[in-house]
Amino acid sequence: MIERRERKPYWRHTKWQMLASLVPFLAVIIVLPLYAGRLNDSRFMGFPLGYFLCLHGIVLIAVVTVASFVNRQDAIDHWHGAHEDV
Amino acid sequence: MPFARRTGYVNPRLGTYFGIFMSAFAALALMTLILEGLGVSDEALRLMMFLGPIALYAAIGIVAYTQEPIDYFAAGRRVPAFYTGLALAQTALGATGLVALTGVFFLIGFDALCMVIGGLAGFVVMAVALAAFFRKFGAFTVPSYLGKRFDSHVLRLLAGGILAVPMLLLMAAELRIGAHAATWFHPMPQSVAVMGLVATVAVTLAAGGMRSLAWSSAAQSLAALIALLVPVVIVAVIVTNLPLPQLSAGPVLRTVARAEAAQGLPIILPPALAFDMPGEGLSLIAKRYSDAFGSVGPLAFVIVMLSLASGLACAPWLLPRVAGTPGVYEARKSLGWATLLFGIAMLTIGAIAIFMRDYLTDIVTAAGPVRFPPWFETLQERGILTVSAEAGRPTLASFSVSRDDVLLSLPIVAEMPAALVYLAAGGVVAAALATTGAVAVALGNILSEDIVYGLASQPVKSGPRLIVARLALGAAAALAGLIALAAPTDPLKLMLWAIALTGASAFPVLVLSIWWKRLNAFGAAAGLATGFGVTVLAIVAGEAGLTGTDGALAAAIGLPAGAIAAVAVAYATPAPSRNLLELVRDIRVPGGEILYDREMRHHRRKKL
Repeated sequence: MIERRERKPYWRHTKWQMLASLVPFLAVIIVLPLYAGRLNDSRFMGFPLGYFLCLHGIVLIAVVTVASFVNRQDAIDHWHGAHEDV
Repeated sequence: MPFARRTGYVNPRLGTYFGIFMSAFAALALMTLILEGLGVSDEALRLMMFLGPIALYAAIGIVAYTQEPIDYFAAGRRVPAFYTGLALAQTALGATGLVALTGVFFLIGFDALCMVIGGLAGFVVMAVALAAFFRKFGAFTVPSYLGKRFDSHVLRLLAGGILAVPMLLLMAAELRIGAHAATWFHPMPQSVAVMGLVATVAVTLAAGGMRSLAWSSAAQSLAALIALLVPVVIVAVIVTNLPLPQLSAGPVLRTVARAEAAQGLPIILPPALAFDMPGEGLSLIAKRYSDAFGSVGPLAFVIVMLSLASGLACAPWLLPRVAGTPGVYEARKSLGWATLLFGIAMLTIGAIAIFMRDYLTDIVTAAGPVRFPPWFETLQERGILTVSAEAGRPTLASFSVSRDDVLLSLPIVAEMPAALVYLAAGGVVAAALATTGAVAVALGNILSEDIVYGLASQPVKSGPRLIVARLALGAAAALAGLIALAAPTDPLKLMLWAIALTGASAFPVLVLSIWWKRLNAFGAAAGLATGFGVTVLAIVAGEAGLTGTDGALAAAIGLPAGAIAAVAVAYATPAPSRNLLELVRDIRVPGGEILYDREMRHHRRKKL
């Protein structure tokens, strides 16, 4: 069980982790498609680069974002003693 | 805590059971293939591939019978991360996603990405901002969560009433697409197919509610994933020699792009807010596949993407699944699986669209006079494909293709045995059952827990509680069936509206309920009602042509309006009580007992 005085630092840590996971990801998915037309001039593995990055690239970024979030948040939980006691 | 009943035990034989299911499913498909080779009648094969898997899902659902509320409403909280993620990914995509999105990808290429990226982002947002906290709280439905989080029965009723609307729309969309896929097996009137699906959902899920749903929809999701992957992997091997269509479609796209340029397919520069989705039925191939923004404007692209992301992140038919995981860590992990599997599905959908375009391109770019292959005639007879009868050589722009049949046409176009067509159609039916079932269970639970028993301050006896829940499940499914039949609207549109409504009404309130302690019941109610009301008005205005934008973009004003209303009203009314602040602090910490279960235990002890 988490100690009372650990709650604030724990939540601060968690908030920063949330921002660190979401902000870059949302920035990429909003900005990248807008430049896809220009990127399409070059190619990668046969795909136009803009299309490739918007489909394959964003899938990869999303999976890495969630995986790293799960890993980091679990570390934060343990660091502050907020983890589940199973 | 020795007095707390531990619920997070995962069945160690789960893998064995699903191994048996997969073997049975594969055996059924292979048997159909063999019987087809032996010359058994087509009607028997169709029946086998249609009813066989449905019988398997129904058996799984019925075997999961339960009389325990925790099993009925939260699958006993022992669905491991992978199974939850699998079902989440497939439920979010649904049959509408599989079928209509493949068609949209085929017809407008790049612009369809706004919808799949939105779905993917929804899982990321759900994982980071909502899932763990919802699991820690442990409520069975989203309105229950809101009601208990803000200690307000009125809010609970209001949320139940508001969220029921998008859920009914989504179910109607799924039933229509599912019925469309069912007609591939046997020509039947749509009403029969829709009611058949409703009955299947009710029979499969009434026995065990969320428990039946967890296991039967995991099986359905596996079947849908296989049905999506197998035909296109075979096509990839035929065309590119590599069994990895998601990556090997690249060089194919290169030849397609060259042909599109040579054929003079137009480059369109749309207005920023254009949102021109191909509708149900035949549509012309509108634009070059990989060109960014032709049918959808850049601003509309971003709006639809964010609207879908917010709607799926707080979807009341997805979040309760997270409450069925054994722990908070598993809840986060399940979203990782969901993101990965959804990603694989969207890459596959893109590859199918590219291969289909390639087959059509081959016809018009062949040297000499244009000769239509036999599959072309088959598709024409079925009304899936037409070529405009103008004089001269047909080009890519003269083909019209039925949006909702692109996915199922692929095995026909690649001249595969009929068994594979039925496998793919069976996958679509499975996906429709999975999503309809998920929404029906979620809505049934909302109707029984939050509407019928919403005002009860004491927990109800489990006997009548489960009877009401089962009746509500049946009623929800039947109501959606009636809507699907009474108001036939384009399923893709229905899905976009449903998700926009969900996102605009529930997303700001749910996120703020965790990340902003100052939010109180008044603010939450105002946020829900404003977001919903404004979005409904925007959709109606958009459809009536008053705003000049599509109804799917409605969340662009609905969601900010809801968020502003929530914050403003919360500041204008008294701050939440110390009890509620303590509750929020508890939600934010993963460790400790599940809050909902703790409350129920306290109630039981008080009664004793």
